[in-house]
Amino acid sequence: MKTFFNRHLNILDYAIGNLWRGRFRSVSILVVFTITVFMVASFSLLSNSLRSAAVQLLETVPEIIVQKLEAGRQVGISIDEIPKLDTIYGISEINPRIWGYYFDEINGANYTVIGDPRFGRDQLIPGLPLEMSSPEKLNPAISPAVVGTSFVQSRRVGQRSNFSLFRPDLSLKSFRIVGSFSDRSSMVTADLLVTTIEDARDLFQIQANQVTDLLVSVANPSEVNVIAGKIDKILAGSRVITRNQIQKTYQVAFGWRSGVGLICMLGAVTAFAILAWDRASSLSPDEAREVALMKMVGWQTSDVMLVRFWESAVLSTISFGLGYMAAWIHVLFFKGALFLPILLGWSVLKPPVVLVPVFRFSDLLLIGSLTIFPYLAATIIPAWRSGTVKPDALV
Amino acid sequence: MIRHATFFLLFCLLFVCFNAALWIYSAKHQQTLAGDGLVPEIVGTLGLTDLCLATDARYIRHLSVSDPLSPYMNHPGALEHFPSSALYVPR
Repeated sequence: MKTFFNRHLNILDYAIGNLWRGRFRSVSILVVFTITVFMVASFSLLSNSLRSAAVQLLETVPEIIVQKLEAGRQVGISIDEIPKLDTIYGISEINPRIWGYYFDEINGANYTVIGDPRFGRDQLIPGLPLEMSSPEKLNPAISPAVVGTSFVQSRRVGQRSNFSLFRPDLSLKSFRIVGSFSDRSSMVTADLLVTTIEDARDLFQIQANQVTDLLVSVANPSEVNVIAGKIDKILAGSRVITRNQIQKTYQVAFGWRSGVGLICMLGAVTAFAILAWDRASSLSPDEAREVALMKMVGWQTSDVMLVRFWESAVLSTISFGLGYMAAWIHVLFFKGALFLPILLGWSVLKPPVVLVPVFRFSDLLLIGSLTIFPYLAATIIPAWRSGTVKPDALV
Repeated sequence: MIRHATFFLLFCLLFVCFNAALWIYSAKHQQTLAGDGLVPEIVGTLGLTDLCLATDARYIRHLSVSDPLSPYMNHPGALEHFPSSALYVPR
């Protein structure tokens, strides 16, 4: 056993010495390889951290959401439909809600407006944790609003309490800020404007008996799917979304099949093709002479292949180490700065994204198998070719 | 004199230590994500369904309650053009 280790250590020494002698070429491969690992690992860690955030933050999403579709598009649902669901045993509560998007023509931002029936002109939503809450500002004559941090920044509200939004007929509707969400909850509330259901209806000019969706609470969580099926049968043309489906969405939403994922993968494959080509076509006269001399002093083809394997292993390990570590620093401390512009796209509001990846051994293996193994595989044939050089042909 | 192989093994050890430090740091900061239980409370109270990441496209802002055809509903023959959707897997 000791002989075995000594042999490999000696060959490793020799391989590192070889890499050092050809350091210009080694460093160029190292840089390309490190960048490849960095890109693949950064994407993997970014998607990992978004999935992890979704799991932690969306654990309390509604058990069932009921929407109505018409010609494949979501339309309002009548509150007259609610009594039809009374026959379903197991439903503990049904909350109608109005929500929609408000496009701010002043700055091009999109806000999410929610009208909640528990929010009144004389009372805040019970149990809603707020950073700033001013119930004394509630006034029966003025529409109250609770807003997110990006909304406040985008509208430049500052110390003011009042602001106005346009109705579809371009008349102005005034709101008074009576509370704001903490920036610790920005990952879900940054663009929110929560108001009373009547004020949301007035802002969007929605008919009196219409709401956007129904939030259904179920007494026994194990019955959610059965109840969802019953609702689907009773309300024709409805779309019933369960908590499980919402949570699953984010488990599959960020993956290698996305555009950016494919670009990273394609980049990795191209980089490896170049590296493999470099390795396959780079048996220089000096290297060939070196192999010939090695064989003359008694080295076998397998020994030469072993040297080449260790050279590849050392290069790929160093590149993987540097690239993987850089990717962690990139995602954890720089919030995935390279991918963030894609993540935010053309968003005018820039919600503060918090990315905290979770270490998973499976991710490490996946990144390794996407980067190290192809490189090692690509160097087998060149290693064999260099090992089979005839000494008498060169010396 | 230290041999090359020892240098290499020391690098591997250093790599494991640095990464372990990052993993531990990350694990400690997981709690900050949920704002010490604040976020799940807001999500549960308001019935929110999605993370507020990109706000440019409606179907990206509320991904879980949109259907796969939403990006193509603007007009017949509409193409998806929002950069943010490049990060999401088409469902």
